[in-house]
Amino acid sequence: MVNSAETDKKISKRFRWIDPFLEGWSIFKESILGRIGLTLLIIFALMALFSFIPPHIDPMYHPMTGVDPAVSHSTGPSMRHWLGTDFMGRDLLSQLLAGARVAFMVGVSAAFMSIFLGTAIGMIAGYSGRGIDTLLMRLADMIMVMPTLLVILILSSLFGQLNIWTIVLIIALFRWPGVSRVIRAQTLSLKQRPFIEAARVAGASHLRIIFRHIMPNVLPLSFLYMTFRVTSAIIIEAALAFLGFGDPGTVSWGMMLQWVWKTGHMFSAPYWLLPPGICISLITLSFYMLGRAMDEVLDPRLRKEEGAG
Amino acid sequence: MEDKTKPILELENLSKVYRTKRALFGDSGSDVIALNRISFKIFEGEIFGLVGESGSGKTTAGRLIVKLEKPAEGKIYLENADITGFKGKALRDFRRKVQMIFQDPYQSLNPQLSVLNTVSEPLTVHKIGNGKARQELVRQAMKSVGLSPPDDYLHRYPHQLSGGQRQRVAIARAMVLNPRFVVADEPTSMLDASISAQIFNILSEMREKLDLTILFITHSLAAARYLCDRIAVIYRGHLMEMGPAEEVIRNPKHPYTQALIDALPKFGDCGDVKHYGTLRRADSEAPEGAGCPFYPRCKVAHRTKCGTGMPRLEEISDSHLVACYYTMPGDETIPEGDACFYAT
Amino acid sequence: MALLEVENLNIGYRTRKGYLQAVAGVSFSLEEGKSLGFVGESGCGKTTIGMALMGLLPPNGMVTKGRILFEGQDLLTLSDSEMRSIRWKRIAMIFQAAMNAMNPVHRVEDQVAEAILAHDPDLGKSDAKKQVEGLFQLVGIPEARMRDYPHQYSGGMKQRAIIAMALACHPKLIIADEPTTALDVIVQDQILKETRKLQREFGISMIFISHDISIVADVCHDIGIMYAGQLVEYGSREEVFQSPCHPYTRALISSYPTLTGKKSRLTPISGETPNLINPPSGCRFCDRCPGAKTSCKTDPPAWEEVGPRHRALCQDFR
Repeated sequence: MVNSAETDKKISKRFRWIDPFLEGWSIFKESILGRIGLTLLIIFALMALFSFIPPHIDPMYHPMTGVDPAVSHSTGPSMRHWLGTDFMGRDLLSQLLAGARVAFMVGVSAAFMSIFLGTAIGMIAGYSGRGIDTLLMRLADMIMVMPTLLVILILSSLFGQLNIWTIVLIIALFRWPGVSRVIRAQTLSLKQRPFIEAARVAGASHLRIIFRHIMPNVLPLSFLYMTFRVTSAIIIEAALAFLGFGDPGTVSWGMMLQWVWKTGHMFSAPYWLLPPGICISLITLSFYMLGRAMDEVLDPRLRKEEGAG
Repeated sequence: MEDKTKPILELENLSKVYRTKRALFGDSGSDVIALNRISFKIFEGEIFGLVGESGSGKTTAGRLIVKLEKPAEGKIYLENADITGFKGKALRDFRRKVQMIFQDPYQSLNPQLSVLNTVSEPLTVHKIGNGKARQELVRQAMKSVGLSPPDDYLHRYPHQLSGGQRQRVAIARAMVLNPRFVVADEPTSMLDASISAQIFNILSEMREKLDLTILFITHSLAAARYLCDRIAVIYRGHLMEMGPAEEVIRNPKHPYTQALIDALPKFGDCGDVKHYGTLRRADSEAPEGAGCPFYPRCKVAHRTKCGTGMPRLEEISDSHLVACYYTMPGDETIPEGDACFYAT
Repeated sequence: MALLEVENLNIGYRTRKGYLQAVAGVSFSLEEGKSLGFVGESGCGKTTIGMALMGLLPPNGMVTKGRILFEGQDLLTLSDSEMRSIRWKRIAMIFQAAMNAMNPVHRVEDQVAEAILAHDPDLGKSDAKKQVEGLFQLVGIPEARMRDYPHQYSGGMKQRAIIAMALACHPKLIIADEPTTALDVIVQDQILKETRKLQREFGISMIFISHDISIVADVCHDIGIMYAGQLVEYGSREEVFQSPCHPYTRALISSYPTLTGKKSRLTPISGETPNLINPPSGCRFCDRCPGAKTSCKTDPPAWEEVGPRHRALCQDFR
């Protein structure tokens, strides 16, 4: 492995700030879960990228509107349609690829927003302590006990079909409490550390301490939790779509499953039923594995030990 | 070197109490008195040592001085101004003058910040200069602690530095604002001996070159003897003895100081070390009330006098102060009923 | 025959960055009833030696060369179960910060009794408790405090309980790794004095590991100075202190502030300890040695006999 060590050295000489990432990467590489998870995610990411290609090849490959004129019912895999078609004659592979794109969009944005909120609130609560802490945490408790899915169902029955971005927003608004608890705990322990006291003695304001000192130390944990949030966001969206409350203008894996079910093809068209289901399971599994591997990187105690003195 | 009439820092009857939380059932939580009406002065340009064991209150005193915590009672004066209630701009100006070096070099640097960012933090906070000017000041500070050439270290992160280097970065950070007074809280207790020696020499040099006053908090009498001009011995929140370092160590008058010296491992040339024998084998019962805190362990303590009232810190000879009933000048009366006692 | 003879011990760790040679070519011997102190700064390998003697190296550590002869038996050739029967019964260890490793929800008396029963299952519970009583008396813990929980003990008392645990099976050798680091000076002195007394009373051999040279000097008959995984000086306490030979020993001694005597300027040791993943082929101290010659960098140093039992790993110190 001498070569990679050399290149690592060269890169880190030019971009010093990369050092911690390179070290983390070498630990990450060792974990089997991490490697599998990352490989799967790369496959899905490629799928998402390729989702733009089919309509360019031929308009009939458009996941939503592309109908193969030669086909008028669900057919199995063939040369023209590698995964087959759905009941309207639309290409299933294009739908699968488009679903990957939606999964990433929904998953990552919802996760990102809830992490953003959760981290900010967690840091403020942990650092301020007392009144503000109690207030924010009680708010978090109240929101945490509310069932996200149910709320969205109720809202959509009140306001009609919801747009995909509204769904993302609501998921974010309901999922931040979990993150904020963890971040708050981390902030509480960081608050006691001497380098925070050193910043206070230097004269830093509370805001500066939160954003300059606490946040960088808390962000790795945030990112870790983001991977877990992504899985729950994807599943919630899939569940909503399956139940018929998703955005009808978006093709997602959940939506595909809904169509299979609604059109009565559940047992007669495995080529239609299985791919989206497998994809949902695999993508959540791969994010989870990624999260586990990152856990090892971030928590030195979980690593395989180095030599002692 | 020192202007004896101008104290730069003065503590007056400073106390700090830590309240333990009440348990839901059972006893209603006790208060720990970390500092009990401490008063002393530190003169400009001197290195003053505060020597004590764990739980003595020495670290608390340091933290009160840099205003990391608020005292329960008493006042602190910096250059004759009462800083106890400072807020806002006054507090910010205060922070430019008084800085702290922490004990644990592995925890006192933010692991996510490079050395440059860490050392320039105080400059950024006080809005001194622009980016380039700050870098230059940082370089100077790094050179003064022996991290030369500075550019080799500026972009490194704490985990890439050894303990001794980290502590030097911490010192550079404390010094970059050119403070007048620095509290060094056991700066070498987590470092190896050969590295500690470096740190001592750096502190000593800074005092010489920059006219800095240092409060050196330590548990090591030997380190205090090496570095400090005057030392004070603190036990359980009370000052026991105070005076010129060499004098206190060669001629300790308080039984606790004597016990400390007895207890130090001796090697090398120690033919002339006296054994004082002021420590009891097993602790005796402490009587209720505000007696001398060293009473339970003191071989020469007298039950009624030492067990009931805390002796005051009194001057027994030129600048040498002791808080002990048996060393007060003019105390000739020998109380009855004691097996043995210590008389000056 | 000496109680413990270690010959050419070499220990390494497999780490992500490569193979770290923690201990290289260390040889020493210990007689019955005597005490030996290992002094060195962090990373010098002294703790690793202690762990190897007990057979407690972590999974990525391994002894690559050498023999550890305890009562004539090479410990390195023993199986796990054989080693287990020796561990604690014949060789006991007081770990660094062991006093903080006590289970907070069990009474101290119970924990010591458990240690006894673990190695002597045939002993009944009441017999074990009686032994605990005797041990506590030995180490100076008042009987009234036996049924307390660890958090009710002071630091010194906890350490005494740990010593009692180590004495429980009447070992012939006790390895103490920084036993007084977390304690205050006065308590430290008391513990060291009592340890010395117990050692003499029961003829137990002791290996003391510390970074603080003054503690080791106070308590041990013989001293070994460690640097970067190697033993650089070895001899009786008086010889090593009164006439230190190796440049590192001299530098180390002169970096300690003294309480008495002339106050001389402390001389720190410049530079850093060498990287043990790629140790230098010559003397490991030569980068920091004031008297280094060009040959020091390339030629490995040889042992120089200074006195009947005093040797230093340097040819050029005179």
